Parts: sequence; C-alpha cells; structure tokens
Amino acid sequence: MKALNYLRADTIDSALQYLDEFKQDIRIIAGGTDLVVRLKQDMVKENNILDISRIKELNGIFRENGTIHVLPLTTHTDILESEVIDKYAFILREACATIGSPQIRNRGTLGGNIVNASPAGDSISALFVQTAKLKLKSINGERVVSIEEFFTGPGKTILKPNELLVDIFMPELEENETGFFKKLGQRDALAISVLNVAVKMRRRGAGTNTFDRAVVAFGAVAPTVVRGRRVENAIISSSLDSSKQIHYIARLAFREVSPISDIRASLKYRQDMSINLLYEGLLDLRANDWKRKT
Amino acid sequence: MIMEDFKYIGKSVPRIDAADKASGKIKYMSDLNFPGMLFGKILRAKYPHALIKKIDTSQAKALPGVVAVVTWEDVPGLNGFGIVTPDQPVLCKDKVRYIGDAVAAIAAETKELAEKALTLIDVEYEPLPVVDDPIKAIQSDSPKVHDDGNIHLHTKVVRGDVRKAFEEADLVIEHIYCTGEQEHAFLEIETGIARIEEDDILTIYAGSQYPQRDQMQLSRCLALNPCKIRVVSYPVGGAFGGKDELTIQPILGLLVLKTKRPVKMVMTREESVISYWKRHPMIMKYKTGVKKDGTLVANKVIIYADTGAYASLGGPVVNLAIEHACGPYKLSNVDIEGYCIYTNNGVSGAFRGFGVPETAFAIETQMDIIAEKLGINPIELRKKNALQKGDIAPVGNKLTTSVGTVAVLDGISKTKLWKEREKYLVKNTKKPWIKRGFGFALTYQGTGLGVGLPDYGGAILRFCENGGFEVGVGLVDYGQGIGTSYAQIAAEMMKCPIDKIKVVLGDTALTADSGPTSASRGLYLGGKATIIAAEKMMTVLKEKTSEMLKVSVDNLDAENGYICMKNQPEKKISYEEIAAQFMKETDHLPETEGYFLMPLADMKVENAFGLPHHIFAFSAHLALVEVNTLTGQTKVLKGAEVIDAGDVINRQGLEAQSEGGFVMGMGYGLFENMIIEKGIFKTTNFSTYIIPSAEDIPSDIETVTVTDPEETGPYRAKGVAETVMCATAPAITNAIYNAVGLRIFKLPATSELVYTLLEKKEEKCNESTN
Repeated sequence: MKALNYLRADTIDSALQYLDEFKQDIRIIAGGTDLVVRLKQDMVKENNILDISRIKELNGIFRENGTIHVLPLTTHTDILESEVIDKYAFILREACATIGSPQIRNRGTLGGNIVNASPAGDSISALFVQTAKLKLKSINGERVVSIEEFFTGPGKTILKPNELLVDIFMPELEENETGFFKKLGQRDALAISVLNVAVKMRRRGAGTNTFDRAVVAFGAVAPTVVRGRRVENAIISSSLDSSKQIHYIARLAFREVSPISDIRASLKYRQDMSINLLYEGLLDLRANDWKRKT
Repeated sequence: MIMEDFKYIGKSVPRIDAADKASGKIKYMSDLNFPGMLFGKILRAKYPHALIKKIDTSQAKALPGVVAVVTWEDVPGLNGFGIVTPDQPVLCKDKVRYIGDAVAAIAAETKELAEKALTLIDVEYEPLPVVDDPIKAIQSDSPKVHDDGNIHLHTKVVRGDVRKAFEEADLVIEHIYCTGEQEHAFLEIETGIARIEEDDILTIYAGSQYPQRDQMQLSRCLALNPCKIRVVSYPVGGAFGGKDELTIQPILGLLVLKTKRPVKMVMTREESVISYWKRHPMIMKYKTGVKKDGTLVANKVIIYADTGAYASLGGPVVNLAIEHACGPYKLSNVDIEGYCIYTNNGVSGAFRGFGVPETAFAIETQMDIIAEKLGINPIELRKKNALQKGDIAPVGNKLTTSVGTVAVLDGISKTKLWKEREKYLVKNTKKPWIKRGFGFALTYQGTGLGVGLPDYGGAILRFCENGGFEVGVGLVDYGQGIGTSYAQIAAEMMKCPIDKIKVVLGDTALTADSGPTSASRGLYLGGKATIIAAEKMMTVLKEKTSEMLKVSVDNLDAENGYICMKNQPEKKISYEEIAAQFMKETDHLPETEGYFLMPLADMKVENAFGLPHHIFAFSAHLALVEVNTLTGQTKVLKGAEVIDAGDVINRQGLEAQSEGGFVMGMGYGLFENMIIEKGIFKTTNFSTYIIPSAEDIPSDIETVTVTDPEETGPYRAKGVAETVMCATAPAITNAIYNAVGLRIFKLPATSELVYTLLEKKEEKCNESTN
C-alpha cells in the first residue's frame, strides 16, 4: 500500500475548500468500507485522502414537509435503527439490512454506497424506487439531481471532482404504498449481490390487486442500477390477481436488464433471476395482502 | 472400566487454551516481533507454466533498505521439498509450474521496501502451454508439467471378479461425480518469524502440523545439521491439513541465514490462496452392481485427482480415496483405480478427510439412488451391507478393531432431527416454490498413516516443582482440542487436578516426536503415549514415596495429588513434597517418556502404499434442507451427526468438532467453488471464494454419540477429526433430491447449479409429456 497524504475536514465548507484545492488528486473517505479495500489492492490513484467522517452537518435523519432526509454520513446501522426510516422509507431499510455484516453496516455510510457507484450497491436500487434526490455542493454552488441521473457507469457518476454529496432526500412512503427489496447473494451475509430488485407500488384501494403507481429497479444486472419501466407499466395496466399473471409481468424483467457473466454468476442465471426474484417478491407481497414485510 | 469412575475422562472439560485465546493473550506467530527484524516477501511466478530464461536481481539488490535478495542459487541444500517426493523447488531455477511458484525472495527493512523490491526483479520467461485438464493431462500428447510425465501415481486395487459380479447384478448404477477444489480457509494465514538464537540455532516460529518433519525437510533444503534447527509450530490458528506440508518455512530460513537477522513473513489471503495447498478436485467414475434384495455385489471406480504442480501428499490422498471408495460396506468384487495427476492448477495436498469426503459424496449418492430404485429403506440398505467387526473390508483387510457402522445407523433414529423430521417436512402452502427435504449419508475414516509407514506417538512428562506435570507432545492443537484431551488424560492418570497439568505442543526443542498432526491420529497416538509416560511417572513417584515412607511400593496408591498408603489413606505425601525431595537429593526433577506404536492391519495392499488402515471411526450425517426452486438456493435448516468415537474423552470438545465439521462439509457441499481458469485463480479471497457465514449455518446441529469402544485406544477412544466432515455434503445433496427430485453429481451444489439443473429437468419433463 502506498503512502498517502491524509487531510481532515470538520465542516462542509472546509471539505469543499480541500476538494477545490486538490481537484483530481483527492479521494474522500467516510466509512472506508470500500476505499480501504481498494487502497490495499493499490487501486487508488489519488495521493490525498480527505476524511469527512467527522463533519457533523452531514450526519442525521430527519423529516421535513413530507420529505425524509438521510444525510450522507448516516451509517447503514443508523438507518436500521431509525423509526422514521422504518415507517416512511422501509424499502431502503430492507436494502440496508442486507448489506455486508454488522461490522460493515456500523461503518459503511449511505453516501459512500451511492458515490461508490457499484452497479451492485444495495441501497441504490431502493433509493431508485423511493425516487430519491441528491444534493451536490461545491464552492461554486449547489445542484439537485435525481438518483437515476447520478450514475453514468460502473463506479462512474456525474459528481464533479470539486463536488460533495451533502443530502439524500426522498418523499415519505404513503399509507397505501407498498414494496420490497430483495437480494440474491452467494450466501446470507457478507455477500455482494448477484442481483437485487426493489419495488414500490401504490395500491388503488384495499381489496384490490391493482396499482396506480409502480417503480421497479434492478441492481447488478447492468452497468448501473436500472429502472424497470416495462414492468412498471405492466403492473399499472393490469390486475395482479393470480400468480400466473404476476409471472407474466415478472418475465418482462428480462427486457430490462443487460447482465454479464462473472465469477459470481452467469449472464443467463442473472437474467433468469431478475425475473424470478421479482416474481418471488411480488408473490410474497400478495400473500401478505400487499402489506410490507414485517 | 466404567466412565463414572473418572474425574476428567468423558466429561465436558473447557478448553485449557480457551481463555487465553478469547482474551487475545496467546501470541500467534504474526504477533511476534524481534528487535532488528526484517520483512520477507516472495516473488511468485508470472505464468502458471513457463521456462525461466533469466533472473536479474541487480536492481532489487541496489534498492537502499533491501538486505538480501535470494534465488535458487542461494539455496544451500536440496532445492526441493515435499513430504513424499521433494519435487517442489524452494525457489524455481529453470521452470515454473504454477502461478504461486516461488522464484525469488527479498528481506528488507520494511514491508513496503520489500514490496517495492519485488517489482525490480526482472525475470524473463518463455510461457508454455498450460496443463489444466487432468483427463487430458494423462494423454500421451499432453504437454508435461514434470519431465517424467503427468501421472504422479497410478494405483489399482482389484479383488474378486468384477465382470462376473456385474453380470450377476440385478441393477447397475453408473455415474460420474465431480468435486471441487476446497480451500482450508484457516483464520491464520501462513505466517512466520525466524532468527538465529543461542548456540547458533536457527529457530523458526511458523505454525504447522509436524515440527520434527519440518525440521528434517528444512535441514535438507538448508544443508544444516537438524540439531541446529528448532521449529516452533504452535500456537497455530487453524490448519485442517493445509499446514502439513511446508509453506513459507524454507524461504524464511534461507533469508535468516543470508542476512543473519530476524525475518518475519506474513502472507496476504490472496497470496495464500494462489500459493498453498488445497483439496484435490476429483472426477470419479462409479459403477456399482447390486442384487434385487439390496446386496452390493460389485464396485468399479476410477478416480482422477488433480494434484496440481507438485506431489506433496497427492499420492497418499488418492490411495486413501481408493481405500474408502466403497464406503463402509461389504464388497468382495472391486476394481478401484486412481490417478494422481500433475497439472498447472495450483497445488493440492492434505485436507481434512484426505480423499474421503470426495468418495463419500460419490458412494453415498450411489447408495441413495440404489435404495430408491430398489424401493428399500436407505438405512436398511446400508445396514444390510454394513461392514462389521470380523468382516473383510473392500480392499481385503480383516476388520478386527471396533466397527461402528451398525451402531451409527441405529443411532440415526435417536436424533431429534430424525424423530421430528415429518413435522419439519410439511408442505409450504404459502410459498409452494420452497421445498423441504431430508437426507443422510454414512462415512468412515481410517486413523493413522496406514501400513508401510512407521506410525507412532511420543510424549514427554516432566515433573514440576509445584507438584504438577508438563506434557510435551510434538503434535499441535490447531483447533481440534487435543491439548485439552492430553491434560485430561495426564490429570486422570496422575490423579491430580487438571490445573496442575501444563501442555506443551509442537516444538522440536521441548516435545517428543509424535508424528504428524493429521489422519485423525492426534488423540489416539498422543493420548496413548501420554498414558505410557504417565504410568512410568507414577512408578517413579511411588518409588520415591516408598523410600520416604519406608513402605513397599505395592502398598501405595495415588489420590488427588498425593501418594498415600493403601490401608491408611491419611498417611500420605503430596506431589509437591515429593518434588521437593527430588530437588533436595539431586537438584533435578524426573521426566519420563512414552512411546506407542500404532497397531497395523493384518495385511498390506500390494502396490497401494499406506493401505490398509486398521482402526476406523464412523459417522452418519443428517440434513434438513429447504430449496428455493425459483433461485436454486439451498438453505440447511437443521443438521445432525451420529458419531462412533469409541469412548468420548471430552464431550464438549467432540460436539464442537462435530459442529465445525458439519459446517465445513456444508461449505464443501454448497458454496466453496475455487475457480481456476488456465492456471489463474479467480477466487482469491473470501469476497469471491464463498465459505458459509454465521447466517448460513443451521441454528441447530445435533451431536449424538454411539459408543463402540476401541480397546486399543486411549481410554478406548478413537479420533474423529475428519469423519465429522466427510459425509455432510452427500447428506445435503441427498436432502436436495428428497426436496426437489434432483440428483447432484457435482460439488459444490451452488444456487446457480441447482437452478440450472432444475430448469433442465423441467424441460425434460415437458419433452416427455409432449
């Protein structure tokens, strides 16, 4: 492992100053659960490491006018322990529960999971379906982008070298909204997703199997997490009365994904699993009268 | 002997090293640091198969802070090691045969400098075609890994008339089984530190399984009188067979001799995975003939084992696989053949089970298939064919020691899992795609090294001033708990509290050579040697007491740390007083030694080195699984093991062994998939090589013991370290069949494999109904 220049910022302003000063040659560390592994593998080209883990302004979960804010330094454990998240952003909660192990969840942050931009980042699919927005800030100003437009490829985002992710926010889940996050890994803990799927649907009313809104996202089956718009349209335009009908809809998933073969799984398996995982998740939900998993 | 008479034997005794290990007080080799210490690094091969044309170390040597750069030219003795055949170079001279082959090594002031220096060594290679398919490798036109060809060993054992027997069989089952390359995945990666100590003794601190053999091999490589080498191989953070052969020790020793300074070397997980031993991947062709009534009549087996680039223990692994290829069943017509084949796929060597988990998967699947085809209860089928005491084993030896086959099979019905299985197997109506199944498998494992190899245990017992005793055995406790068992045995024998026993393991200077810590032999041989040493020590104490009390030895007894008069127990002398007397008289305390030779089978199998074995431990493995037919995922919900360990020395130790073995077997069966493409490892750490996590293992693993006492064993015990993992995989795959009607012929049965097979099966179903 090479020697690095360690910098620490305790405020957003000071972090932005550093970022502007060192431009391309600076890398941010928060929880370090991804970065430290890369450092060990000598995969980090930058020479300066900016530690933002002590910036208090970047840590916390709060509600404001029907919106939930999860600040980027919030750890996965914080998310799992938050009542607000449990009530209003439970799809994100389900995703964070599958990440790594307790040790990794204690250190790893939501912001880190996003900026790391892995196509297999578990929280990202959940943020997709909860239609999260990201606030990016630099010394020149700030901008808000939707989570979907943030990613451009594996490990690649629209984040400029002098920008910092300062807020992650999303509308609160409504009373008649349901959904799930499902992950398929090679084992039940400490597993990188072979693929994952997240779904959010708004039910037209109790006793019905119809939905007027649906958002579906798949992880680890394309260069970035992807939306499943064909599946969404199919959910909205039909009634999920039978397992046969649900399977019919789920099969559209194979049109949404463009997986590759790697050491974890083959292209074909990932393709089939994007269908079956969605199918299983929807069946589970229906068996529970479309109520969230408890 | 009645167990209740014992104070320690047969009881649940907490591990003597538990508190120190849990609190971090024990110093593993990576925790050791010596003043003036250098850091060692090894340059590995760039190609899995290549000729070395030139090695230029001048730039690396010129880097300030680099103290030594060594290549083959610096190896003073034989540039080769290997337990059976020393065919692996310490440092390669003209050829590399796998991607982990060592080409050069560096000692530098810091780890970073050593790493930097590695990049400055210029090696010119001429890449050769990679031999990566063991079946192709034995064809005459295959490129050769070694000049003598790619067959390291070919063994064929024939008994009876297989051809005739197959003609007479009512049913013949033929299948090809493939098993994966398993990584030992011990917590402590190969690590060591070495220096020159007092009297010019090169002292190597590196965890391993047999310090005296390490010393012998190192002596040969380093051209050093063995008495000038001390090997300390304990404590060690796990081994499972992976530290039976040498790993880093010869290079470590070489760097110390070269620099005259202490050198420390710590592998990374990735370097460990590509460089060191694995379980042999095997391809096994099975053809089994059986009569309508379930009587096995013939078994023809061909085993192809990929031993990788060097021999190590590949030959003995194949031979043990052959011996156990038929399972613990009566078969008088057998034709079993095994090939141990060189390739460029890493290196395979010793691993818990040593060929038995592989063949157990095959034979136990065959048995399950036969039971189903013939409509015979699978337990009854096994019982019908079960080897019993007095029977002739498939390779021809008569079984005269304890044979627990039937006891273990009968024990299945005593498990909670068996009793309650119907309850667990209820259909999941809410989630019909989740299916449950129950399965079991039977296995056995020979104890010791087998015929043809000197096999003995040794122990030293030292009397201490506090009236306690120090037991010195060359074997190591790498997690199986033998240290605690030796303490139990010594305390029981010496009639003293267990906290008065100190156990010293794995040190050529302080312990008796007791052979390798392998082959389920540690408790058996080390235990027997301890008993013999203790008997001698008791005589010494009684003799001294008889002098002190002026009574005949025959009138003396021992109890709770005292030698007392048989008829007047109040007339007694404490061990501490006896020790004081020795010190007063001679300024020296006595020590005794015990040696025990392993009993051997009544014959030897021609042309099959090491066969047969004489003492066997038996176990049945049970599994309840849940298969998700949408994803192919298999979850093991419950597990159980029924074990014939003879009489049990340490109850809680045995349970821990059983649970650990089950989990390791489960990883082998379901998860652990070492991917090597063209000689290059693709799964070099635990993010890609998947071992079960705490979330994956069943909440409940039951251990039931059935006792078939082994009269020759220490307190009639047998070793079970290996058998406890050998049949877990087939128990799980038989359970998968029970759940979804799918036969697994390849391990590991990953989610993707199960899903793909289920899909094919569905296609076939559709075809046949169309």
